[in-house]
Amino acid sequence: MRLLSRYLVLALCVVLVNFFLPRMLPGDPLDFSSGDGLDAAVPLTASARAQLEAYYHLDESTQNQLRSYLSGLLRGDLGLSISRSAPVSDLIVDRLPWTLSLLLVSLVFSAAIGAGIGLAAGWRPGTRRDRWLTSSSGMLSAIPEFLLAIGLLLGGAVGLGWFPLFGGETVFAESRDGLTGILRGGLDIAWHLTLPAATLAIGGVSAFALVTRDATAGLQHQPWLVAARAKGLNERQVAIRHALPNLAFPLTTFFGLRLGGVLGGALVVERVFSVPGLGLLGFQAIGARDYPILQALFLLSSLAVLLVAFLVELVYMRLDPTRRSRQ
Amino acid sequence: MTGRPLLQWVGFVLLIGFVLVALVAPLLAPHDPREPLTLPLSTPTDDHLLGTNDLGQDVLSQLIHGARSTLIVAASVTAISTVVSWLVGLAAGFIRRVEGVLMGVTDLFLALPDLPLILLVLTLIGATRTNMILVLALLSWPAFARVVRSLVIVARGSPYVEASKAMGGSTSHIIVRHLLPATLVVLPAKLVLTTRYAVFAEATLAFLGLSAGDAIGWGAMVNLAFRDPLLFSRPIWPWLVLPPTIAIATLILATVWVGSGLTNGPRPSRRRKPH
Repeated sequence: MRLLSRYLVLALCVVLVNFFLPRMLPGDPLDFSSGDGLDAAVPLTASARAQLEAYYHLDESTQNQLRSYLSGLLRGDLGLSISRSAPVSDLIVDRLPWTLSLLLVSLVFSAAIGAGIGLAAGWRPGTRRDRWLTSSSGMLSAIPEFLLAIGLLLGGAVGLGWFPLFGGETVFAESRDGLTGILRGGLDIAWHLTLPAATLAIGGVSAFALVTRDATAGLQHQPWLVAARAKGLNERQVAIRHALPNLAFPLTTFFGLRLGGVLGGALVVERVFSVPGLGLLGFQAIGARDYPILQALFLLSSLAVLLVAFLVELVYMRLDPTRRSRQ
Repeated sequence: MTGRPLLQWVGFVLLIGFVLVALVAPLLAPHDPREPLTLPLSTPTDDHLLGTNDLGQDVLSQLIHGARSTLIVAASVTAISTVVSWLVGLAAGFIRRVEGVLMGVTDLFLALPDLPLILLVLTLIGATRTNMILVLALLSWPAFARVVRSLVIVARGSPYVEASKAMGGSTSHIIVRHLLPATLVVLPAKLVLTTRYAVFAEATLAFLGLSAGDAIGWGAMVNLAFRDPLLFSRPIWPWLVLPPTIAIATLILATVWVGSGLTNGPRPSRRRKPH
């Protein structure tokens, strides 16, 4: 329970940061949008401005603002978008599936490929193969996601023409009724999401590879590996049957920790490929200075990262008897 | 077998090259990077070696001036972030009273996802260069504050610190003369990693449209190119997309190669680079 309370405190900090940031930073967020249509990205009339001020209770004391903010959050109210006439929560719910599927697919692929590379590199640490794999993984992880995305876009869509240039699904596609229609729709989406997911997967591989490599290198002289070899198993069997299960711990932990990084990557990659997910929403919000959307993105991604970290620690305790007994 | 030192030299040479280009940018650039000169979207000519963008600005001149803004951001972020890392790390490692608070703040910063926070803050306060430097610097210190603190904790138990205390050394004397030197082993790694982080982040933010309106930078050049929905149907697209992306990638790889001996921690390599 100490674990739970620690994460609850962190989550509360995030909520408070989210509440106080726009109120404490210099400038009036609503000012951006009230330039009478001249210098503003989104012109707001005086009455619209007054409406927003009333909605956020900006004329009341900070305590009252905080109270209404918190009770709004509990009801799932994330505020009103300034540039689109819709509640932020509706906009987010609409786009969440795109980003979530990108995240999950790419995380699974990068964990699997990264674990394979890491195992190959760390099996004989210090060899030429290890150094080559480690240093090229390091180089790959240093490249910003939007450059990787542009590279894949140029190669796979512009050059070879195998994949679409942009979007999440074919616009004006045939109707998606019936089983074959749904199937065709699914394939169409998969075809559109291949390059974005591949970008994120490639970007994430090296981190998994490095973690697996170090964990594998640490296993080197374990007696049970010697025993497995003495039994007459070949190296491949030793690696897969005996070493791999021991990498489950570091990989599970890392799977959770990577979420924050991949999330940032997804925001950028969606912009390159115009995938209609949260990243594109955020990108459009930057252009329109639609800060309620950006606030919601920050809040939700921080809470998601904390939640996953919490779950990972729970799983960890379940899996690791020594930690469980200490609890 | 000598792959690592060679690459490190290549990295150094590239970095120095970028710094030189940034320093003499106004002399080197054939045109004013902001001036709309000729027809927009022109393919390379003798006068415009890399063509012009959709505002008719010279791409080569923009590329050269872009090195300047990238390196100014990178250098400032690295300087501020390094100072903060060390101040927090030294204080948290040696002064018991502030340890809990400082490490709590550090952990909170480490737990938050970077990009959404940066997007929110920069949209609120405006994406000027100064604001970007401050935000990136304030988000990049926590990891090394932890490293420095752990080095201080090792050093503060060592006999020479005990001896200095016994001889009446003041807190500030011990921190500056005994603890600070013990932490400097990780300084090169911090400098390289933060420089890379700043280049990475500045380019990404500019690509997402967060850069001062009149700023010239590589990320902003890519952003401008991608704002054109018909970009890839124009034969000129390679001249708009490739120069800035190659520049960003080269600069980042240069920092990777410079750091290849510094940042991976102790590796079982028998050869040490001659320094």
